[in-house]
Amino acid sequence: MDGGMSYQRFPKVKIREMKDDMVKFELRETDASVANALRRVMIAEVPTVAIDLVEIEVNSSVLNDEFIAHRLGLIPLTSDRAMSMRFSRDCDACDGDGQCEFCSVEFHLRAKCLTDQTLDVTSKDLYSSDHTVVPVEFSDPNDAGEQRGIIIVKLRRGQELRLRAIARKGIGKDHAKWSPAATVTFMYEPMIRINEDLMETMSLEEKRTWIESSPTKVFDIDPVTQQVVVVEPELYTYDDEVIKKADAMGKSGLVEIEAKEDSFIFTVESTGAIKASQLVLNAIEILKQKLDAVRLSDDTVEADDQFGELGAHLRGG
Amino acid sequence: MDPPPEQVNYICGDCGMENTLKPGDVIQCRECGYRILYKKRTRRIVQYEAR
Repeated sequence: MDGGMSYQRFPKVKIREMKDDMVKFELRETDASVANALRRVMIAEVPTVAIDLVEIEVNSSVLNDEFIAHRLGLIPLTSDRAMSMRFSRDCDACDGDGQCEFCSVEFHLRAKCLTDQTLDVTSKDLYSSDHTVVPVEFSDPNDAGEQRGIIIVKLRRGQELRLRAIARKGIGKDHAKWSPAATVTFMYEPMIRINEDLMETMSLEEKRTWIESSPTKVFDIDPVTQQVVVVEPELYTYDDEVIKKADAMGKSGLVEIEAKEDSFIFTVESTGAIKASQLVLNAIEILKQKLDAVRLSDDTVEADDQFGELGAHLRGG
Repeated sequence: MDPPPEQVNYICGDCGMENTLKPGDVIQCRECGYRILYKKRTRRIVQYEAR
């Protein structure tokens, strides 16, 4: 910036909660465009590894081949290595056949039911050629201990399934199976101001009915002072119910609610392919790469190979 | 030239008997005369995109 005004801002992040599959954090001092860009990158542009090619040898199950291939593609695989892997379409080592260590992982599945009991074929029956890329493990919070895989198909006596699958790096924009995000949401932080003078004109009973009009428990009555207090502003869903109720009670302006334009509360849930915290970090990294591409685009039109992986990323989309 | 026409195995829809048919043959089970025959799955590997 040569003397001109700078629009550069320095966003602040505060982590509220962090589990393997979920993070909640606050993003402040930035614009909705940045918050939404981050959300969209998390959903559609953070790479993972997923089964992309299936070679079926034997399938005498009740599900047809393409049905099983589709189900295999949707199984989340641990993708901590995905950021440093290559897309098979621009892998020099293997000419794009998708069978080399830099861009793909091979899986084998062999299952045959020999008893009268139904055999569940699950993601645990998939044998990976690379121990860093395996189907994710789930633990049911209600039934701790045993980990069951994801059911692919069920076999009865005599039925058999035998196949080879190739997993490749990809992004959610190409196919949702590559999205590492289960849900990513953000909300504006609400600013709730109660008009105390107007509130004083209301009886306790009126205050109660007004509080009850909110579908979420945003307000409550202080048991000591009997005044209306905001207990959980973030539960407000911008439904306007309390405002309408105040108007109906003839108390217009009882409460003023506005969304803070520069504070966002994010909730990120991961499929298990990568940790939710890593998903956020990878998204920021990719967003930075994309911004670099924009910044460099003026004088590097003639040499777009300088964009490296991101160039392919942008062209591929 | 083309390789000689391959024999193809079919399964009878009624008795389950395996039948071998050549081009031009009547489509009928040799065992029970039933006229619906099912072709067997290929023994070759088949490839699919998981999408």
